[in-house]
Amino acid sequence: MPEGKYCNKKPIETEEELKELLSDTGGKKYYEEMKELDVDSELLWKTIGNTLKSRTKTWLEICAHCGMCADSCFLYLINDRDPKQVPAYKIQSTLGEIVKRKGKVDNEFMHMVMETAWAKCTCCNRCGMYCPHGIDMGVMFGYLRGLCYQQGFVPWELKIGAGMHRIYRAQMDVTNEEFVETFKWMVEEYEEDYPGLEVSVDKEDADILYTVNAREVKHYPEDLAEAAILFHLAGENWTIPSTGWEQTSLSMFAGDWAACKMQVESVYSAMERLKPKRMVGTECGHAHRATVIEGPYWAGRSNGKPPVESIHYVEWLAEALREGKLKVDPAKRIKKKVTLQDSCNYIRNNGLKEITREIMSYIIEPGYFVEMTPNKEHNFCCGGGGGFNGIGIFRPQRNKALITKRDQLINSGAELVISPCHNCWDAIRDLEDEYKIGIKWSFLKPLLVSMVEIPEHLKPEE
Amino acid sequence: MFKNILFATSATEASDHAARVAFNMAQIYDANICIFHVLGVPTRGFSQIVMDVKTKEKVEIDDEYIAWVEEEIKVHYSKQLKTAKSYNIKVRIGFPHREILREARISAPDIIVLGGSTGNDEDSVYKKSTVGSTLQRVAKAAPCPLLVINRPAASFWGGISKVVFGTDFSKASDAAFKFAVKLTKNRGCELNIFHALDISSMHMGRLLTQDEIESQIRESLRRIRGRYIDEIKEIKDYSFDVWEGLPYIEIVKYAREKHADLIVMAHHTQKTSNEDARLGSNIEQVIVRAGCPVISINK
Repeated sequence: MPEGKYCNKKPIETEEELKELLSDTGGKKYYEEMKELDVDSELLWKTIGNTLKSRTKTWLEICAHCGMCADSCFLYLINDRDPKQVPAYKIQSTLGEIVKRKGKVDNEFMHMVMETAWAKCTCCNRCGMYCPHGIDMGVMFGYLRGLCYQQGFVPWELKIGAGMHRIYRAQMDVTNEEFVETFKWMVEEYEEDYPGLEVSVDKEDADILYTVNAREVKHYPEDLAEAAILFHLAGENWTIPSTGWEQTSLSMFAGDWAACKMQVESVYSAMERLKPKRMVGTECGHAHRATVIEGPYWAGRSNGKPPVESIHYVEWLAEALREGKLKVDPAKRIKKKVTLQDSCNYIRNNGLKEITREIMSYIIEPGYFVEMTPNKEHNFCCGGGGGFNGIGIFRPQRNKALITKRDQLINSGAELVISPCHNCWDAIRDLEDEYKIGIKWSFLKPLLVSMVEIPEHLKPEE
Repeated sequence: MFKNILFATSATEASDHAARVAFNMAQIYDANICIFHVLGVPTRGFSQIVMDVKTKEKVEIDDEYIAWVEEEIKVHYSKQLKTAKSYNIKVRIGFPHREILREARISAPDIIVLGGSTGNDEDSVYKKSTVGSTLQRVAKAAPCPLLVINRPAASFWGGISKVVFGTDFSKASDAAFKFAVKLTKNRGCELNIFHALDISSMHMGRLLTQDEIESQIRESLRRIRGRYIDEIKEIKDYSFDVWEGLPYIEIVKYAREKHADLIVMAHHTQKTSNEDARLGSNIEQVIVRAGCPVISINK
C-alpha cells in the first residue's frame, strides 16, 4: 500500500496534521497502516549513498564479530545473554543488511529494524568504549533511526515528538508566549521569598543565556523558579530568550534530521541575536547532546561548536559552588546515603564525570556519598534512554530494561539517587513505580535551593 | 463579593462537602462556578499517557476520554448543577496544585474552593509525583482567598453567623484581616479575633511562669486592639481573645467554643518541600482539624 493517513513517509508540517496524529489514540491506526507501508528502496539506497560516510562504512566492515561488545550492553545482560542482543549483531543484522542488500528490504524487515533501533538500543554508546576497534554501535543506531524515519518506520510517539519540534520548536505544545509567561509567573510566585528575584527576557550581552526542557514549562514549572532562584542567589547576570529556549530534541531520538537542524538553529539564532557570554542548559542529558555536542554538526558549523560557549547545568553549578557564588550551609548538607546517576549523554559522551562528583562533595556530608557499580563513564544507561521511556509499544521491553539500574541502586544501598537528567529521572521514577525498591530521586536544583545560604542583602525582611 | 468561584474538585466523595459549600456560595452570590478537575498526572516522559486519579490506571488521553470525564462530573454534580445559574467544567492534565494555580492565574477567580484530602493513602495518584500536598502548595501561592472544606461543615455558606479570624500579627495576617472584615460586613455577622500565644517552641524549652504567660497575653490583647480596632468599629458584634498553648489546637478549640462557621487565617509559610511537610504549618493543621471551613489568604 502507498502512504497511510497516519503512518507515512511525510514529516508533520502543520498543527492540524499533528493534532490528527495525536487523535489516533496510542497509534492504533498508525501501526495498522505501518503493516502496509511500502519501503522506497530507491530512495533508501540513494540516501545511504549520500549520507553513509567513511567512518560508518569502515565500522561496518572492520567489525571482527569478536563479541567483546556483548557484555558491555545492559540489554544483552538482562535478556539472558540472548545472542540477538549482542550490539555487533544488532547493527550488522539491520544497517549492515540494508547496506548489503542495497536498500532492497521489505516491510517486515523494516519492522524488525524499527524494533531493534528503538527497543534494543538506547544509543548509550557504552559498547563503543569496549570495542577493540572503537566501533560505536550507538552512533550507528542513531544513523539507522534516520533511515527508519525517512521510510516512515518510527514509533508513533516519536513521530509526534519530532512533529512538536517542527511546529512549536519545542518537544511539547508550548508556545513562546507560554514559555515567557510561565517563567514570569514562577518568578512572581517566589519573589516574596526571594526579594529582587526577576527574570529578564531577551536581554542582550548577558553573562548567561538559560535554555530549558519544555516539560518543565508544561508540567513542573517549579524547576524554572528554582533555576531563577539559584542564578539570583549567585548574583548572575542572566536572561532567557523569547524564542529558541528549548534545548531538547525528540527529533534526535526520532531520527528526523531536518527537524534536528530546525530545532537547534532556533537556539543558535537566539545566541546570535542576544550575544550572551555563555549558554547554560537545564538538567537534561540529551538536550546537552543535541544542542551542544551534535547540534553544531547538524547546523553545519565548521568548528563543531555552538555560536557561544555552551555548558551543562552541572558545569555552572560546580563553578558557582567552587567560586563561592553559592554557599551551601554545612548544617543542611545531605546526611543519608546518596548515589549519583551518570547520564550517558554528558558523562560518557562529554566527560563531565568529575564535575558532578565535585558537586556531590559540596552538598553531601562526608561519608554519605556512595558510588554505583559500575560508575562514571562505565555506568549503565538508566534503562529509558534514547526515547525508550516514552514509546508505548515497547513498554514491556523498557520495563525489563530498568532492572539493571534497579539492581545497581539496590546494591549501592543508597536512599536517594541524584539524577541531573530528565530522562534518567523519569526512568528511576518508573522503576520505583514498577519494582518498589524504596528509592528516592531528585534533580540538583531543588536540593540546592533547600541548602544554599541566602546572602544577607538578599534575605526577605521581617 | 464573589462573582467568580473556582471549585477545584477530585470529583470524588472527598470533595462532596466542599461541593455543597461551593454551590451554595454560587447561589447566594449569583456567581459563576467553574468546576475544575485534574483528571490525571503525566507519566512516561514525553508520551501521552497519564495516570487516572480515580481508576489509578494508566490511560491514553484523547478528546474522547476528556469528554467522558466531563460527562462523569456532570452526573456526579447533577443535582447541584441545576441550582447553578452559570457554570463551566474544565478538565486538565498535570499536577493538581500547579494546574489549579495556573487556572487561577488565567481566570482570576474571587475565591478558590478546595475539597478535602484524597487521603494519606500511599497510592494516591495526586501525591505520587510531588512532595507536599496539593493543599499546601495551592495555599502558599494562591492569588486569591482559598476556602478549604476538609470536614463536613455544620452549616453551609448561607448560614454563616460567626467568623473567627486567627492572627499572628504578620503582614499576611493584615491581608487576611481585611478580608475577614469585608466578609463580616457583607454577611452582617459576628467577628471573633483570636491570637494564640505559642508556648511550645518560642522559649527553647524553658518553662514560662504563669505570670510571664499572663503578661504576654495582656500584651497581645493590647496589640490586637492597637492593630485592628479602627477597622471594626462598624461591626456590631466582635470580640478579642488570646489563649496560650499550641496555636493550631487553640484555634480549633476556640472556633468550636464560639460555634464558628468559618475560620480566616493567613498562610505565609515557606515550608512546602521538607520531608516533615506532613506536619505542615499552623494553618494546614487548622484546616485538617477544624469543624468548619477555613479560608487561607496569603496576599
